[in-house]
Amino acid sequence: MARVRLENVTKRYEDVTAVDDVSLDIEDGEFVTFVGPSGCGKSTTMETVAGLTKPTEGRVYIGDDDVTTLAPKDRGVAMVFQNIALFPHMDVYDNISFGLRLRTYDDAEIERRVEQAADIVQLEGMLDRMPGEMSGGQQQRVGIARAIVRNPDVFLMDEPLANLDAKLRVHMRTELQRLHRELETTIIYVTHDQAEAMTMSNRIAVLNEGRLQQIAPPLVCYNEPTNLFVAGFIGSPSMNFAEGTLVETGLETRNFDIEFDPAQLQGVTVGDDITLGIRPEDVHLRKNADSLAAQTAPIDAQTDVLEPMGDEVFVYLLLSEAETGSMEQDPASSPNQLLMSVTPDTAIEAEEDVDVVLDRSKIHLFDTASGDALLHGLVERSEREPGTTPTEADS
Amino acid sequence: MTDDSTPTDRDAQTADVPAHWNHTRRMTDGGQPAEQGRDGVLIGNQADEEAVLDRGPFERWASKAIKNPERAYKSMFYTATIFFLLTTLFPFYWLLMVALTPEGRQQDIILTPNGFNPGAFIEVFEVLPFHWYMFNSFVIATASTIIVLVIGSLAGYAFGRLNFRGKLPLMLLVLVISFFPPAAFFIPLNDLFNTSFFALEPITGDGTLYNTPGAMVLPLSAIFMPLAIFILTTFYAQIPDGLEDAARVEGTTRLGALFRVIIPLSAPGVATAGVLTFIAVYNEFFFSFLMTDGQPENWAPLLEGILGYQGQYEVLYHLMAASSIIGVIPVAILVIVAQEKIVSGLTAGALKE
Repeated sequence: MARVRLENVTKRYEDVTAVDDVSLDIEDGEFVTFVGPSGCGKSTTMETVAGLTKPTEGRVYIGDDDVTTLAPKDRGVAMVFQNIALFPHMDVYDNISFGLRLRTYDDAEIERRVEQAADIVQLEGMLDRMPGEMSGGQQQRVGIARAIVRNPDVFLMDEPLANLDAKLRVHMRTELQRLHRELETTIIYVTHDQAEAMTMSNRIAVLNEGRLQQIAPPLVCYNEPTNLFVAGFIGSPSMNFAEGTLVETGLETRNFDIEFDPAQLQGVTVGDDITLGIRPEDVHLRKNADSLAAQTAPIDAQTDVLEPMGDEVFVYLLLSEAETGSMEQDPASSPNQLLMSVTPDTAIEAEEDVDVVLDRSKIHLFDTASGDALLHGLVERSEREPGTTPTEADS
Repeated sequence: MTDDSTPTDRDAQTADVPAHWNHTRRMTDGGQPAEQGRDGVLIGNQADEEAVLDRGPFERWASKAIKNPERAYKSMFYTATIFFLLTTLFPFYWLLMVALTPEGRQQDIILTPNGFNPGAFIEVFEVLPFHWYMFNSFVIATASTIIVLVIGSLAGYAFGRLNFRGKLPLMLLVLVISFFPPAAFFIPLNDLFNTSFFALEPITGDGTLYNTPGAMVLPLSAIFMPLAIFILTTFYAQIPDGLEDAARVEGTTRLGALFRVIIPLSAPGVATAGVLTFIAVYNEFFFSFLMTDGQPENWAPLLEGILGYQGQYEVLYHLMAASSIIGVIPVAILVIVAQEKIVSGLTAGALKE
């Protein structure tokens, strides 16, 4: 068990910077998830912790030791791989005990620990099987057993569930959480699936283009994203964005205006481009919005496509009559579309004219130029109540 | 053109002719240009029904082969196999016949030996210490194989799994050197191996490598190394990176990962490279013939043993033949065993990814 610290870690390949000046501090026993789109540098960052990749610049600490130049085997880390990477020429017992056999443990101790590890991941009675004879889920459990059997200080998991089918993935997700609770080991987990990141981790580190965007607990990333990238990446379906201009009375976008006092925003002045972000569940039909403490002026819209998901219905709204929904554009970024999530019992049909309102306390404002968050939650000063204090992004 | 619906006498006559006569009839018609058109129609009509009857056995076989190409492939396979077996095995058969024929009666051996003298297979060990020559060959071939596999594995790992500057030119250089004729190295090497080195004195006595296994192991390992490097590079490059990473995180060095994971998973490739090297060194003539003085106590290999039955005044052909057969047997066994190993390795080596 140990904390992990990255200091200004940069990894450059010939003409690509995979990791760009990443610094982060992971507490002892913490479950931190690196999340980001493909090629964002999350796996490379993990490899620098594992020692499989040497950073071009910067230092890596595990516990109190600088391990930047140490070989992977001397770092006290264990890793679970996306492609599972069991040794196909060894049976399960030999796979799990591989690391122990390389160190000076006597046979009885090895056997005891292998059995204990197999017990934790529920592999009893399969120790003499070959990896090729097992299902994907079983193989991944062997991979996890191989990692926990050495009692590593830090557990690294590189998309361990990516190759499993959807049902097994959800099951293994809970298994991993249980495992983390039992072992209390520091876990660094890499995934591109933000559902995994949201559900399992103590903190999420969002990376994009090699840079760390935000490291915060999942709900903070969800509710108070530091910039446009995090806002768009965390949450499924993604947040709606509407680009506009800051004016004296608030925000003017192409299809609707939001009134607020521009003095609330720091770092931007009237005339600057700002982007409004609103999550689908914070867009409401006007007729159902009476319970909202603060709502925006109604916005005319036409429903386009409905996506009933069972527990909720996603409604694609067209804000501009002129332009019908184009399939090319992502609804989240298209200026004329708005995605709304409603309960399944809501009476709504496709191609219906509706009035929608936005929950003012859930509106996010971003500086369009820099992408940085300006404000999370618009509340009128007069109406501001204790407990609903909007949070400044830069805190 | 004559209409088919109005049969002439001739048509009627044709119809009466037994089927096996048609061939003859057509031949005669060929000599009657005036009636050719008429008969052409006639033959055309018959062709559909009687084509099979018309053809000789080879034509029939050809038409079947066109309809069913499997037959053609099968017969091609058998032809090639029989040809191959004849050309490779017949010399061995001949060798056996020569070995079994008593001394002095080697002329006019046609398929069977002139007499029966299996004692030749024992005599070879009495006339010369042939087992000693074989032992020398085994030591030289084994040592070369081990050296080639160890160094070739390291090179194969570097070429197959690492990216470094100058990788391609270096690999091409290895390839180019392997194309040099071994004879080109002989004079400098012979000179070198006959030079006395102080450091070698405790090992070889006179400080030279001539008349030691080193004089053959060193050049032969070098000559057969490039092939092994290429085979091993191909195999090692195919092992997924994840497995090596896993081994390294679990506690091996890069070298440890090579020996514990990559080589075991590349067993078929290692076996192939090893067997090829062993056989090549065991069979090698040039350096084996020239790097010793031909005495078994001076590490002369098998080859010198076989040639040893050839004296100044007489050539013991039956003993040369017998010793050749004895010399081939170990390699034949090795190939059969290794072949099983290679095949089993190929079927069992199922890698995920």
